[in-house]
Amino acid sequence: MFGSKQKNNSTAEATSRLEDFDYLNPKSIYLDSACQSLRPKSVCAALQEYYTKYNACGGRVKYDWGQKVDEAIDEARGAVLRLLHLSSKDYVTSFTLNTTYGINLLLQQLPQGFYKRVITSDIEHNSVFLPTMTLATRLGVERIVLSRTPTGELTYSSDQLEKAIVVVNSTSNIDGRKLSSIKELVRDAHERGGIVIIDAAQTMAHNHEMLIGCAADAICFSAHKMYAPSLGVIVCRKSLLRSLDYQIVGGGMVSNVTENNFKLASEDPASQLEPGLQAFGEIIAFSQALKWLDEIRPFGEDRSKYINSLGNELFEGLKSLPDVNVINAGPTSVVSLYSSKMDAHRLAIFLSSGGIMARSGYFCCHYYLREKLNLPPLLRFSIGLNNTHQDITTTINTVEKLMRSA
Amino acid sequence: MFCIAAFIVLVIISIFSARYRRLAKKAWGCVARRLTFRPCDTKFKDELKSRLLAHVALKKPQFVKAASIGIEVGSFVIVALTVWSLYVVFKSGLNLYVYGTCNPANAASCSLGAEACSIETAKPSFVTSIKELKLHSWLANEFSGLGETIAAVPTRMQDWRAEDYLPANATYEQTYSNTKPTALDIFDPGCQYCRQLYRNQLQANFASKYNVSYIAYPIANPKTGDGYKFRNSMIITRYLEAMKIKPLIKAKTPADWQILNRIFTKADSDGTSYQQKINIVLNGDETQTLLQKWMHEMGYADDDTSAIRTLAFSDRVSNVIENNRKIVEHKVKTVKIPTLIFNGQRHGGVVDIQDLK
Repeated sequence: MFGSKQKNNSTAEATSRLEDFDYLNPKSIYLDSACQSLRPKSVCAALQEYYTKYNACGGRVKYDWGQKVDEAIDEARGAVLRLLHLSSKDYVTSFTLNTTYGINLLLQQLPQGFYKRVITSDIEHNSVFLPTMTLATRLGVERIVLSRTPTGELTYSSDQLEKAIVVVNSTSNIDGRKLSSIKELVRDAHERGGIVIIDAAQTMAHNHEMLIGCAADAICFSAHKMYAPSLGVIVCRKSLLRSLDYQIVGGGMVSNVTENNFKLASEDPASQLEPGLQAFGEIIAFSQALKWLDEIRPFGEDRSKYINSLGNELFEGLKSLPDVNVINAGPTSVVSLYSSKMDAHRLAIFLSSGGIMARSGYFCCHYYLREKLNLPPLLRFSIGLNNTHQDITTTINTVEKLMRSA
Repeated sequence: MFCIAAFIVLVIISIFSARYRRLAKKAWGCVARRLTFRPCDTKFKDELKSRLLAHVALKKPQFVKAASIGIEVGSFVIVALTVWSLYVVFKSGLNLYVYGTCNPANAASCSLGAEACSIETAKPSFVTSIKELKLHSWLANEFSGLGETIAAVPTRMQDWRAEDYLPANATYEQTYSNTKPTALDIFDPGCQYCRQLYRNQLQANFASKYNVSYIAYPIANPKTGDGYKFRNSMIITRYLEAMKIKPLIKAKTPADWQILNRIFTKADSDGTSYQQKINIVLNGDETQTLLQKWMHEMGYADDDTSAIRTLAFSDRVSNVIENNRKIVEHKVKTVKIPTLIFNGQRHGGVVDIQDLK
């Protein structure tokens, strides 16, 4: 239904969007991809195809539509593992609502009596920061909030990782800083009997390579930040799954039920985090989004390089503006700022009036931004593959113009 | 102030468009906080203000500060006007209830009340007060007027008995009967609505059910040369009071009532009603000549006419008129002429024939 061939010439690059996003109003500049990326036409088509051609339940059915759904879901699970170079012998892919829900599903079902502490970092999204609080309370263990360096590394001592549950992001949603020492962290935690759960919501769309070979116990992320429909994804080590004390249970995850007991479907471990009916259409469209991400070469460029070039341009442009304080240490696809002369919410409204969509506030990082750094609300621009160099230029020029009104 | 102004504007817009009702609800939350002396919801205020300023910011960023000040000033004006409007509505409603007119100072200007002639007041207008830098005295007048209205609320609910307000030397349109209740008509001989009420009474045969008496009350008007709203009303009133003192012997209808009947119901040979002629055409001397001619026709001897003329301008009649004025202004406290007291109520303005029957 929608074509997915890309234009590949420099003239088009200057002013045009990728064909996959040509349904957008040319004057609309969407810069909130850290919250939710836009969907390319092929993803929309896949979702529509499911709803119009084989709109059935999956889950061990015998009719064609259902079996087609099951195949597509299995394909999606496999595609995620392939993307992260993980073996299906050790890991499974489960689907849920979003990253927050995925992290909660794991943390709130970790068993009592084994772990000594919960460790997280100061720049976490509330999806990590809050569940680690309730987890520590439930397990009756201490909770340690560690600092992250301006470049993203977690500052810790090996002793702190002793039988620790470490829950951290691999990329910050505030300024895009990365946990580049992720492999070392996982290795150190494992050596001390700890586990590491990664919030990879901001990583998977453009920097999933950094997670390859990290051997984390679980990686949670959101398909809707990867050009797919709204969906949460949990990639989990089977050994961790087996250790969970299942509290959230129901249809689709058991092999047998007696009057007072049930047996989980051990042959389908992925289902153990998937109680109830799944968002089949969204999972299938996510599979298409993974294919699209694999194939896309915006204007002939590597997608990560393209995003980085836009991020660099945005970072340098905003940083050069007077009265604008960019809080990023360096260029990333997520750039946050504030101005002492104009409230971020007002700036966001003014930008919106000019067709530029950016997020303002604390981006669910209240502790770090408001409590720790005592910063005012911020304005955040987050880039996606729907954006062009012209979008970035227009945005910088508009911010500059608006700052004159302050 | 901005939140309150926004609430006012949004509520009005919401009447016509459901799209703004959600915002109006938000604004109400803000207003409720202000009313309970808590800080306003700054998020809502800032967001709405920013949305208003957004277009200016994009097109002429240098004017944003000026526009922002303009919004604050505009908000203050909107709130001030709304508060004042609510005050006026409340005050007008109260006046309508108490006096039968929303504007006691100019009863004729209020279309909600019965038709009547106003008893004008000499209070300066708002514009005049501003020009003379006497805003404080205008405010004092405004609120003392409200105070008077509030103080007069009990009069609206009292049982009105015409007998309590009858003047000295009261005369009745028909022979007084103990079996009939009394009604009192307070009028100005020059007022067209008094003429209308008198004619309604005739058509309703009101005098057959009530002992109808009257107080002639020339409405004062400080702005005119002679000090009265209708230029010959005081002369006629003087003659009416003089005729009460020197009645027409053996007359079936008292002479003063006969004069009133002619003024209110008869017309000159050219078709002009006598009331209109007296108000517009005749001067004081000509009015007296007309009255004396009528008295002669009614049966007064020349000596009696001469005596009544002298009596009309005597201190005795002046005192009677002054006493009558006090009854109207201080006891009845009406602001509308005519006023008819009957059936336990005080009716300001023209009363319908049906209500008189």
